[in-house]
Amino acid sequence: MDYDVLVVGGGTAGMESALTLGDMGYSVALVEKEPTIGGKMILLSKVFPTLDCASCIATPKMASTFHHPQVTTLTYTTIGGIAKTPRGTFEAKLERKATYVDFDKCTGCQKCELACTVAIPDQFNFGMVARRAAYIPFAQAVPKKAVLERYGTSPCTQACPAGIKAHGYVSLIRSGLHDEAMKLILEAVPFVGTLGRTCYAPCERACTRNELEGSVPIRTLKRYAADRYYQLHPQPEYGPPEDRHNERVAVVGAGPAGLTAAYHLARLGYPVTVFEAQEKPGGMLRLIPPFRLPTEVLERDIANVTALGVEIRTGQAVDDPSRLARQGFDAVFVATGTWKDSIPAIDGVDLEGVMGAVQFLTQVAAGNPPNVRGKTVLVAGGGRYGIALDCARTASRLGATRVVVQFRRSREELSSVEWAIEDALEEGVTIQFLRAPAKLVGVDGQLVRVESAEIRVGGRDVTGRVLPGSVGPGTESMEVDRMILAVGQDVGSAGGTSGLHTTPSHTIVIDPRTMETAIPGVFAGGDVVSGPSSVVEAIGLGSRAARCIDRFLRGQPRIRDDVDADLIAVEKSRTLTRQDHYTTLPRASRDLRPAAQRRTDFDEVELGVEEAAARQSAARCIDCGGCCECHQCISACPADAIDFGMRDQEQILEVGSVVVSTGFDLFDPVGKVQMGYGRFPNVITAMQMDRLLSPTRPYNTVLRPSDGKIPDNIAYILCTGSRDFQSDNQLCSRVCCMYTIKQAQLVMGALPLADVTIYFIDVRAFGKGFEEFYEQSKAMGVNFVKGKVAKVEQGDDGNLILQYEDISGEGKVVRTEHDLVILSVGLLPNREALSLFSGGALAPDAHHYVKETDEDLSPGQTSIEGVYVAGSASAAMDIPDTILHSGAAAALSAAYVERVKR
Amino acid sequence: MDRRLRDPREVIRDEMVMRDKVLAALENGPLTVPEIAESLGFPVHEVMYWVMAARKYGLIAEVKDPDDDYFQYELVKSE
Repeated sequence: MDYDVLVVGGGTAGMESALTLGDMGYSVALVEKEPTIGGKMILLSKVFPTLDCASCIATPKMASTFHHPQVTTLTYTTIGGIAKTPRGTFEAKLERKATYVDFDKCTGCQKCELACTVAIPDQFNFGMVARRAAYIPFAQAVPKKAVLERYGTSPCTQACPAGIKAHGYVSLIRSGLHDEAMKLILEAVPFVGTLGRTCYAPCERACTRNELEGSVPIRTLKRYAADRYYQLHPQPEYGPPEDRHNERVAVVGAGPAGLTAAYHLARLGYPVTVFEAQEKPGGMLRLIPPFRLPTEVLERDIANVTALGVEIRTGQAVDDPSRLARQGFDAVFVATGTWKDSIPAIDGVDLEGVMGAVQFLTQVAAGNPPNVRGKTVLVAGGGRYGIALDCARTASRLGATRVVVQFRRSREELSSVEWAIEDALEEGVTIQFLRAPAKLVGVDGQLVRVESAEIRVGGRDVTGRVLPGSVGPGTESMEVDRMILAVGQDVGSAGGTSGLHTTPSHTIVIDPRTMETAIPGVFAGGDVVSGPSSVVEAIGLGSRAARCIDRFLRGQPRIRDDVDADLIAVEKSRTLTRQDHYTTLPRASRDLRPAAQRRTDFDEVELGVEEAAARQSAARCIDCGGCCECHQCISACPADAIDFGMRDQEQILEVGSVVVSTGFDLFDPVGKVQMGYGRFPNVITAMQMDRLLSPTRPYNTVLRPSDGKIPDNIAYILCTGSRDFQSDNQLCSRVCCMYTIKQAQLVMGALPLADVTIYFIDVRAFGKGFEEFYEQSKAMGVNFVKGKVAKVEQGDDGNLILQYEDISGEGKVVRTEHDLVILSVGLLPNREALSLFSGGALAPDAHHYVKETDEDLSPGQTSIEGVYVAGSASAAMDIPDTILHSGAAAALSAAYVERVKR
Repeated sequence: MDRRLRDPREVIRDEMVMRDKVLAALENGPLTVPEIAESLGFPVHEVMYWVMAARKYGLIAEVKDPDDDYFQYELVKSE
């Protein structure tokens, strides 16, 4: 056996049971789902009828439990199931939630919580104030360690091919931490300004806010972070890292994949040399027209790489990359891209006036554009990456009279470039969907006409992938002077792949797990491996290549998929159910220069956003993952205790006996609509009032939640959700009368001028000293009114009007006004206890508490021999009764363990 | 008056964007929660969440003697 006894639940009953058993010499595992033990008692102000400080009683018991040599406390842990073995012992499956904090290092300094940028309702203050996603439950928590609340990876973050923490930087911008946002993005990529303008934003497609009114404008926020930072820092703030490795790395190709790999390798301390065939670095990014990506933004992005000491040798083509390995480079990364236009096999493609998109854009970028002034230009587009639209919009700016784009696909299939389609249409470009050139006709070798065919929608296969369309019967003829073919790109036979194993289409063959080619030490990635891809996908492969090369050079295991793994993305439905309702806000539209103005120049079309708009847009984020991975906690932690590599773990324990001490639930008065809870801020529960009266209260004193006013006329409504058939809880909760009287006395102490009225059916003061406690409160001036409150309404000033039947008077319906109403809510069974066991379920009693099979002679004995119930998991009871009951359960459990051991 | 309140989780989430505005409102001296709400143009019960969070995390503190029925809150001077 791993432990003699498993105690489930770390509240008063669980702690008492564990301590009793531990003192008897039994080994105990105490499991608690929250990050701290203490249950509800530690959250109370004082206890009745002695008015002793609850914290003063509970805290020593928490500490004794946690430090008891026989008790192992497992917080932040739930039970996946418990089954009885043939030997009479029990096998329990524990699910230990990752805390993402190394408890051995954490000092409980709370700096992570102060730095965290995600605000979440504080469950330990019953939602009256915020806590953070990184948090220590409260000052007296045991253990006093921080945990990071993570529900999974936010969908936006998981959707990013480049591994950018999208949720993180959105959260940082929301918090006004703009430099930090930029630095977080720079952790993943050097091309922040570029991606802020050109990315097709898979993050936005994944955004849960799409289920409401539209996604958070995540790409625009990235651009905001870059623009602001680049304005403040025309050059990078950093230089080469101080710690350097000796191994040298060569990168062939200074496009997005190559430079990203160089960036990460240089950050790791490797000397990196980049060989680029073109005259300037940037690769295909240089072909993106400046009205979408201004040259100075690209240059500044590239400076992020060169500032690290990366040497870029332009004008140096490398035909045989393996030669670099022989020249002393310890690793080589080939990322030469796809620079050859794919020319479709249709009649007339060799006519004058026909050219490929790469050829067209290369000539434009070199300052030597083809003459299209006064011409009709037809662009045949593949569609996915928007190159056809870049060509069309460029031709329009170069003076073409008419520009037409033909796509083989429908507009719905081109959703990744929808924004570019809209922009092009605004600028006067004609776009024909489901149409493709079939024949190019020339006169004297010069293109004069294009005949195009209708394309039928291809439908989708079982995986949802769009199938190629077929040619339909419809044809059309158009007079055309220039034609640009933007239907695809190839590596080409001169792609710098000599000596490497390639496919028939000249892409390099690699081991997808390591990105290594057949030649040891030579790696490849980006478009030269995958074929044409988006900028962000190429960047992502560059990042991955850097990790692979680092593992290779450090002699580490080559295949480590876990290193790159995120948590599972949080399901949108799960996120959305966290709130009862949402306020929808209009999605900020993209701010563009007027179409008439922009079609005549190459200045940037899309305008950025100002700080206020950026923060407001970021505030629409609904924090799907809980923790946003902004990494502020990592920066703030002086003990280096934050560990995002932690994962949930399962643990199997064999124990001799089980004590169920899962406590009770509180009645949620939201369902009693007539009481106004959840509708009127000044209607709160007694548990919330206990928090307001406690030393660790959410406010500075007892205040109205509606406006911070010090209340002076407070009402309590007893029996809310107990002794109530309508609420399916006909039981008396046994503690409400006394905790209400306790609070009334405490309020009169805290607010001497306040009037306190308690509306009751009858007061049950049955325990030792309870009647005296009741009489004492009356003597202090608490007003007791026998009357069942039927309805609570709210006035314009936030005051509340109670309507009740005056039972002790004339039986009339009476209306009274108060400025704060406390609902003395009842206790309910915690039904989770009943699902703990498999193969012989724990039997409930008639009220869904854990059934005690012999309440009179063996209190605590459940329907399963060896399983005992302690405290309010069996029935509503106060703290002294809970302590007694837990002792009984512990004794029974010890006796059973002795029998099992024999 | 029985308008539907915004979900508390949503209001609390806004703290991160509203915090600076609350602090800015207090730059000219202590204010009560209704006064802060008036200067920001947001519902008082929502501002209550943001003010109390700023207090919890040590950015503001109550002025010791309440002004009639309301406490005033002031910026905590950072060391």
